[in-house]
Amino acid sequence: MSAVCWNCGGGAPGAEASGRFCTACKALQPPATDYFEFFELPRQLVLDPKDLEKRFYALSRQLHPDLFSRKSSREQEYSLESAAVLNDAYRVLKDPIARALYVLKLEGFDTGEQTTKDVPPELLEEVFELNMALEELRMGDTDVLPQLEAARLRFENMRDETDAELQTKFGAWDASHERNILTEIRGLLNRRKYVTNLIDKASHVPDRV
Amino acid sequence: MAYSDKVLDHYNHPRNVGSLDKSSASVGTGMVGAPECGDVMKLQIRVNEENGIIEDAKFKTFGCGSAIASSSLATEWLKGKTVDEALQIKNTDIVNELSLPPVKIHCSVLAEDAIKAAISDYRTKQSSKVNTLAEQTVA
Repeated sequence: MSAVCWNCGGGAPGAEASGRFCTACKALQPPATDYFEFFELPRQLVLDPKDLEKRFYALSRQLHPDLFSRKSSREQEYSLESAAVLNDAYRVLKDPIARALYVLKLEGFDTGEQTTKDVPPELLEEVFELNMALEELRMGDTDVLPQLEAARLRFENMRDETDAELQTKFGAWDASHERNILTEIRGLLNRRKYVTNLIDKASHVPDRV
Repeated sequence: MAYSDKVLDHYNHPRNVGSLDKSSASVGTGMVGAPECGDVMKLQIRVNEENGIIEDAKFKTFGCGSAIASSSLATEWLKGKTVDEALQIKNTDIVNELSLPPVKIHCSVLAEDAIKAAISDYRTKQSSKVNTLAEQTVA
């Protein structure tokens, strides 16, 4: 976001375009690309969903393109852009996992394609064993449903445990902004990804053997 | 997405599925994974300790068709090669052989990583064996 208003150039005393609207001429400024900045929130991993929702509705009212139909074409354009950023930002920030991935990206972590180097070996071992067990269950021609159900519950427990651990780490990072905590968080997110994958597998009744 | 005939062949008739004795000094185990897609791949080699030739290779992969085909092909290629030759196998060789599309290149990377991990595990075991022998000799 530019610090100088595109409209009045910040010529008026006290004019500042660091917010959503220029403090001098009230013209709508281009949207912040950082989702936290857009919501006027500090970069943090723990968010109050109620507060976020309130901000979302307030901004929706403030930025609705209909409100700008009589304004300059540039402001109309910015209101459209802002409405789009608002929806994307809300979708990402309201989901704790998507939010954490977003923070990792902002903090320069590569969250795209990852290789073994980023996964603890004991986790791989564990995931492999779980997959083996699941496959054996699926191979059984008699009623495997109760066993699959048990496996699914076990994986869901693992996911809940991971979520609890994540929650703790989220709070720890918010308090300290220590980079090594983010590394731990990325490890936990990898683990969660594996586990949710296993839950999906265990949730679907095998239709072919 | 359409898989190539070679991928389908390996997927429907995977070669060398199974496992080798993990605790044996002549066996190297590589376990790799891609968190993004939830794939996990185990690849093992059994090496003739006299001449360094890979006599057997097994794999087990949980993942998409391309990941299974990549590791299946890798085990085929490994057999009969020396450990040093095996290290020359590049993921691009797998991509070319299986005509993998760009979105599936990471599956071939996984297979290459698995080969390297298995060989590294084998070498670690061998060197610790040499050390143990040396210690015994000293004692």
